Amino acid sequence: MKTLNESQLNELQQDLDQIRDQVIADLGERDANYIGKVVRLHRSLEVGGRVMMPFGFIPPVFLAATTALGLSKIIENMEIGHNVMHGQYDWMNDPSLNSQTYEWDTACGGDSWRRTHNYEHHTYTNIIGKDRDYGYALLRLSEDDKWRPAHLLQFANYVLLSVFFQWGVGLHELEFERLRNREITLKEKTPFLKEFFRKGGRQAFKDYVFFPLVTLPVAPVVLAGNISANLMRNLWSSTVIFCGHFTQDAETFSEEECEGESKGHWYLRQLTGSSNFTGSRWVHLLSGHLSYQIEHHIFPDLPAHRYPEISEQVQAVCRKYGIHYNTGSFARQYGTVLKRIAGFSLPDRLRTRLLPEFNNAVA
Amino acid sequence: MLAQLQTSGAVHWLGRQLFNREDPAAFFDPLLERIDPLLTRQTIRARVISVTDETPDTKTFVLEPAGRWQGFRAGQHIALTLEINGVRRTRTFSLSGTPAQWRQNGTIAVTVKRIQGGQVTGWMHECLEPGATLSVSDAFGDFDIPDVAEPAIYIVGGSGITPVLSHLETMAADGYRAPVTLLYYVRTHQDIIARDRLEALAQHWPALALKIFTTEEAGSDQRLNDHQLNQVPGLNARRCFLCGPEGLMDLAGDLLHRRNIPEDRIHCTRFSAPTVELDGDNLGGQVQFAKSGKQTESLGDASILDIAEASGLSPKHGCRMGICHQCSCRKTSGTVVNRLTGKTSGQGEETIQLCVSVPAGAVSIDL
Repeated sequence: MKTLNESQLNELQQDLDQIRDQVIADLGERDANYIGKVVRLHRSLEVGGRVMMPFGFIPPVFLAATTALGLSKIIENMEIGHNVMHGQYDWMNDPSLNSQTYEWDTACGGDSWRRTHNYEHHTYTNIIGKDRDYGYALLRLSEDDKWRPAHLLQFANYVLLSVFFQWGVGLHELEFERLRNREITLKEKTPFLKEFFRKGGRQAFKDYVFFPLVTLPVAPVVLAGNISANLMRNLWSSTVIFCGHFTQDAETFSEEECEGESKGHWYLRQLTGSSNFTGSRWVHLLSGHLSYQIEHHIFPDLPAHRYPEISEQVQAVCRKYGIHYNTGSFARQYGTVLKRIAGFSLPDRLRTRLLPEFNNAVA
Repeated sequence: MLAQLQTSGAVHWLGRQLFNREDPAAFFDPLLERIDPLLTRQTIRARVISVTDETPDTKTFVLEPAGRWQGFRAGQHIALTLEINGVRRTRTFSLSGTPAQWRQNGTIAVTVKRIQGGQVTGWMHECLEPGATLSVSDAFGDFDIPDVAEPAIYIVGGSGITPVLSHLETMAADGYRAPVTLLYYVRTHQDIIARDRLEALAQHWPALALKIFTTEEAGSDQRLNDHQLNQVPGLNARRCFLCGPEGLMDLAGDLLHRRNIPEDRIHCTRFSAPTVELDGDNLGGQVQFAKSGKQTESLGDASILDIAEASGLSPKHGCRMGICHQCSCRKTSGTVVNRLTGKTSGQGEETIQLCVSVPAGAVSIDL
């Protein structure tokens, strides 16, 4: 990690707080209108997709219905659910956009997400051993994990995780790796499991039982369309999220170096542990503006559509302190993610020879 | 009835399964709102029909609530929720129209005095125009007309006339058969709200004795006093209704008590929540917000809602005066004092209203 001295860290904090204060002072109707528009877009796409789906025996209609439903799930999960649950719209005082009560259209329950994502991941970002989002306790992505032969298969694990991403996220809080090591017992996880089965059950019921059943003669078409829409959402969201922290230049940290850290140090860690990708307005909307992962990680509770506006200022701050602002095209960033996953599946000796660029990934 | 309840239970169950929300119909609100705001399910909307000036700083807003609004009794209030620069704000107003008017043409009215520096009343005066919509709560409050006609006196100050207008017009229309006296205190003649309606009432309803006093007009300081009360025949047998600013209410309560009028024959309604004089010595302490890990010191001069907001949290809230319970939250340990009642809470875990709770010693809040 780029090292800054105490006074630089304090100054960094002040610079970033200032950007944050500016946005907060300016929050208002524009932001309310924006999220209102996105919510209407989501509702229209979902209603449109559900209505068209039974006519999916006509191939172009199937494509349109599946795309509409898949996009609706993507927009709801990324730009609405994720961002609302971060508290980005709490100031509106609108109960349907409240961070503590929002429930989204995916297998992971809102409460579980608030614990594992908002709290664990956003507090301990990229600290190996504390941020369970780093590799999801499934993938080896840095030298801190000792190589085992099982890691040879991790590319297949990655593909499976992406395909079933909503279920992986839903089960994240189970802490399977700690269950396996007998650090915790299944009994301790019973309340979580109950929550998981209730929420996951609802999601499965809706997409795989209810809507196919009410359209019975064409049930297989509806079932296939709903599966495809979920698959589309799973692949896209996992890809976006992997690009956030697993790119080549995204740094990781040890517990020791973050012990008792200052707010300035926390900012620095968020800046250097996250990575952006560039794209069109639509790419940003569909990624819930996690294409601006760096801005999101320093200001997780500012309305996400503001990230593009403040990006220039954040970059200026990075330049001032010589911090690498990790961005690139989607293809480039995703390419390095795939390389990282593949590279760290290999024994270190082999990896250092084949993919030397990852040698110093861990500072 | 039972059949209906069962269906609605099933609908709710299905709604939760399909839309992840308690009221499935609210899923469609963002779309319905575009077609007609009055169709939304999550809140009951009302459309502004007209806005009229009463005095230089008071306007009456006539509203038409969506069909499923339940109605009200004369003297009740409603909470209005308005969206001001993207933020929803809720305030309580008394209804100045009559239930009969609502039954006949489906409209209700609120008469709103612009409060100096008021975020909501100021906005309503400047920006709320016919055609706009806002959300209305069910009516609440028990400032009721007596069930059986009996002599009554109204002591009213300023915009406190609004629920009383509703009372008097309803009583007149129902042929209330006992003498009613209204003592109405305003600063100057300009500040008389609904003067025409009051004069028309006095003219057509012989039971009403209308007396308007100005308290700040040149040469006349006609504040409420014993002499004025002595002019009211049979005062001690009358039911007393008080409505208006704090000072007038306290004075009236005092004068009536001294005449030995029993407490249960005096009815009050207020605009600002009454606050109890709290004993400052026992107030304040460390406030811990457990979920967010924030901690701060309270001097006992602010509500926990204010303290939380000053700490950078944004708890759900509404009226900020203890009415709507939107800010209800779990207190996990410590005691708080309720600013409205002066009552001290228990020690343990319980639900408190953040906006009217003041810490008394160290408290921990689940926020």
